[in-house]
Parts: sequence; structure tokens; C-alpha cells
Amino acid sequence: MNVDEIIQKFKEKGYEAWVKEKEAGVKIKAKKVSVWVSVDRKKIREAIELMINISEDFPHFSIISASDLGNDVELNYHFTVDYGKNLEEKIVSFKVIIPKKDLRIKSITPLIPSAIFSEREIKEMMGVEIEEIPDGRHMFLTKDFPDGVYPWRRDETSPKETNKLYEEWR
Amino acid sequence: MKYEVPVGPIHPALKEPILLRFTLEGEKIVDVDVVASQNHRGVEWIGMNRNNPIQSIYLAERVCGICNFCHPSCLVMAVEEIAGIEVPERAEYIRVIQGELERIHSHLLWAGVAAHELGFDSLLHYVWMVREKVMDILEIVNGNRVTKSIIMYGGVRRDIKEEHIPKIREMIDYYRQGFKKIAKLFLEDKTIKMRTREIGVLNKEDAIKLSAVGPTVRASGVKKDVRQDMPYFAYPDFEVKAITPDLLTGETIGDTYDRIVVRLLEVKQSLDIIEKAIEEMPKGEILSEQKIIKILAQIKKSEGEAVARYEAPRGEDIHYVKLKSNFEQLYSWKVRAPTYINILSWRPMLLDMQIADIPIVAASIDPCMSCTNRVIVVKNNKEKILTAEELHELSVKKTRRMMR
Repeated sequence: MNVDEIIQKFKEKGYEAWVKEKEAGVKIKAKKVSVWVSVDRKKIREAIELMINISEDFPHFSIISASDLGNDVELNYHFTVDYGKNLEEKIVSFKVIIPKKDLRIKSITPLIPSAIFSEREIKEMMGVEIEEIPDGRHMFLTKDFPDGVYPWRRDETSPKETNKLYEEWR
Repeated sequence: MKYEVPVGPIHPALKEPILLRFTLEGEKIVDVDVVASQNHRGVEWIGMNRNNPIQSIYLAERVCGICNFCHPSCLVMAVEEIAGIEVPERAEYIRVIQGELERIHSHLLWAGVAAHELGFDSLLHYVWMVREKVMDILEIVNGNRVTKSIIMYGGVRRDIKEEHIPKIREMIDYYRQGFKKIAKLFLEDKTIKMRTREIGVLNKEDAIKLSAVGPTVRASGVKKDVRQDMPYFAYPDFEVKAITPDLLTGETIGDTYDRIVVRLLEVKQSLDIIEKAIEEMPKGEILSEQKIIKILAQIKKSEGEAVARYEAPRGEDIHYVKLKSNFEQLYSWKVRAPTYINILSWRPMLLDMQIADIPIVAASIDPCMSCTNRVIVVKNNKEKILTAEELHELSVKKTRRMMR
């Protein structure tokens, strides 16, 4: 499926979608195509279901990345589609903005089984509550890591005590 | 009667300490649980809070000692895309050569580990002796065998000079001549075949559903390779084709044997890529901007986000970077190493296998789980700790049993 069709399908369903391109190669040029889709957090499952339905093979889940934007938290769900075909693979990323006052999002693991590790990581590192997650244990942080401390945050919940230790080393 | 056998958490040869909890019925594995929370180094946190983007290149190099080129490359590609930093043509070719040299050494290292897991230590020593050739080339070209610090925003830091080229050609010849012997030892040996054929099978559907990457997914018959699907650096010029085991054996089973086949063929493919690259390498600059301060200033001004992908020896590596203007560090940085996602495939691979198969199956996705440092066997509520040597012994014994 070409990029315009993907964009068209998402736009038909009312999502905002755009493309970014970058060129690679010296003698032969190839384009790196990334599709970005802005999704309301309540619609994350529908958006991913739509992608599963429109892509020929099962989409390849890469990772969820997170940023602290001040009053909100931004999650990007990165996938790739059309893999296994020469020069045809595209990155599809879903951008979700969640207000810090109500940090909740539905788990996508029931649709994408490989997302479980990444969702557990987002839960402990960013403090986003993942609803209906089948396994809510810590992923990388230890069992005794203090509650309410989230390493990827840039506000009062960031690990200040750990920072103090680092300041002493310096 | 069910037993629980934890494997881990500390493994000297594992890139990250990890705990595998096995539930067993006799010798048969009925459940596997992975507990990764053993030692988090906070690499991303340091890149987001402490280092400037240039320091983060050297930090990324230390994400994994073996893949010390793929992680910094991935970070550099993401930042270059955001900041619009151009890369000279010659540098793109040098990056390809560096990447393929890394693949050769990594796959040979893995082959040695796999031989060791099977109790075939003479093969381990032979393969690692052969591997020294590529390590020598890395030293000649970069000055260092391991953390080479070769990549930089806008190019590479050291050139491949005229005097290096005959040595690289000699290495290519050396491996081409030795390939047949290694392939014969690994693929035709009766014992290796018995210990790896139909062991740790990952079928195509599971591989796709669990988002497996690299040789693990290719051995299951999915032609997925970033160098082919979404090439970066100068890779479009090489028209890389993803390697699946049916190219050599005519069939795809998705077992441990197939994963050996894929890695061996990829070493051959890397030799072809390096040969073509040194022949066609354009002349010119290797860095678009010599002054590091200027690059830093340009990155500091930039704003945006990018996802970079790189086909590392173990599979696809992904870095997400977000930059904010006038922010000293990387605003967001997410590293997705190939093992992060490949660990999920352990479950379908290990179910219904035997305890003695754990080392070779776990090692077959190449997390280098070569020696399991301790295993606790909970038997009648009494814990018994098995050392690495004892578990390894079990694996060796199975090989001996099958040889009889």
C-alpha cells in the first residue's frame, strides 16, 4: 500500500495524519518515509485496529516513546508496515497527548501482544496508568523502587534523590 | 509435579542481567516468565539529563559492547535528520564498511558461543581464532578493537586509508577460503544437527506477532531486513537482499539450526558488501563540519523529532530522539535494542523443550546467554543452587548422550 492511501484511510476516519521523508543513499537514492498520526487517547485502540485492518501483513511493533511536555505527557507508538519488501517499508507513529491531571490510557497489548514490555516500561518510567494491562509488574526498575517517582519525568516526580547522589559524585 | 527453575539474574556473558523463571514438569518446560528488572543503568536518563548530544554518542556506544557501532549510528542518524546535518558521500561508505565489519565479528562471536553451549569447545576456540582476523582489521582501521568512537554527527572521525585496503582485501579472501570449512563444521556435523534441528522452533506467525527482529525473524522465513526495506547510509547502492535459510537448505523450519544458517550466510553477504564498498568508495571529505562547537550549536538550535532504524547484527535497532531548541541535552531519547523485543520469542521457542536445551535455545536469539551463572531448583521447598558450570554440564551431557 502506498503512503497516500495510508494517509487517506486515516483521514477518512477523522485522524490528523502527515508524512515526513528523508533521502538516503549515494548513487541510488531511497526514501525513508514516516507517517505520523495524531490520535485522541480514547481512540488509541480504534486507530491501531484500523492500521491492522489496512496493512497486508500484521504491523511490526517497534516501541512506545514518551516525552514530558510540562502539563501533558506525549506518547508515540511506533510501528512499521510493509516490511519484507524492497524499499517499501514505512514507519507509522501514533502520537497521543495525555494531560498530567488524568494520566490514563488503554492497553494495546490485547491487539499487539509484543507491546507488553514497552507498556510496562511506560507505566513505571512515565507514571502513565495503562488500563487493562494483562501484566502490570515492574519491567526494568527494581521491585523496591519508590512509588511516585518516575525517571523520565521533568517535574517534581523526577528522581531527585538519585540526582543528589550524582551531584555528590561530581 | 511442577518445579520452578529460575535462570539468572546475573550472567557474565549477557549484555543485561536477566532472570528467566521456568516451570517444569520433569524435564519438560511448561511455562517461561522473563523478569528484566535486574540492573537498569539509566542510559536514556543520562542522555536526557546530563550529557550534551556529543557526549551521548560515546554513551550510546556503551549501551552494548558488541554492537558498539549500531547504537551510536542510530542516535547520530536521528539527530542528523532533525538538525539537517549533511553527511559526505565517502563517510556514508565508511559507515557501511564499519557496520559490516561489526556484523562479521558479532556473528562469529555468536557462532563460538553456540558451539560452547553444545559442548563443542574445540569449535569455539577455532571460530574465535578465525574471528581475530576481523578484530585485527578493526584495530588497524580504528585504532581500537572494541569501542571504536568512529561515528560523529556529519560523518566519521577516521578515514579508511589507501594502505588499509590491501589488508581488508586479504581479510575478505581469508574468510572466503575459510567459509566452507566453518559451514561444514556447523551444518554437516551430526551432533550439532541433532542438538539444533527442530529445537527451539519459532513459527512464522509467532515471529510476526511477537515482532521478532534480525536473524531470529529471518530464520522463521520473514524476509525482513532494514538494509533492504528502508536502507540508510549508502546501503541503497548495495541492494541488500534479506537472507532466509531456504537459500541454502531449501526449506524454512525456524529452529536453532536455521538461525545458524542465516548468520553464516550473512557473514558471506557482509564480505560481498565490504568488497563492493572499498571498490566504489568515492573520494572526498569524511566530516561535513570539523568544528565540534559548531555542530553542538546547530543541534542546540534545532527542534523536532525523528525515528532512526539500523539493522544491527542481532536485529533492528531503533532510536527515537526529540530535540527542543535551547535545551542542552536530548529532550527525549528512547533506545530500543533488538534483544528487548526478541526476548518475547523465548517463550514459544522454549515451551515443551528440555532443561538441557535452555542454553542453546536462549543463545540462539544471540543475547549471548552463554553461561548461566546460577539456577535455583525449588524441589520439595528446598532450594538448590545450580552453578553455571552445572547447567553447562547438563547441556554437555545431553550432547554426549546423543552422540552415543
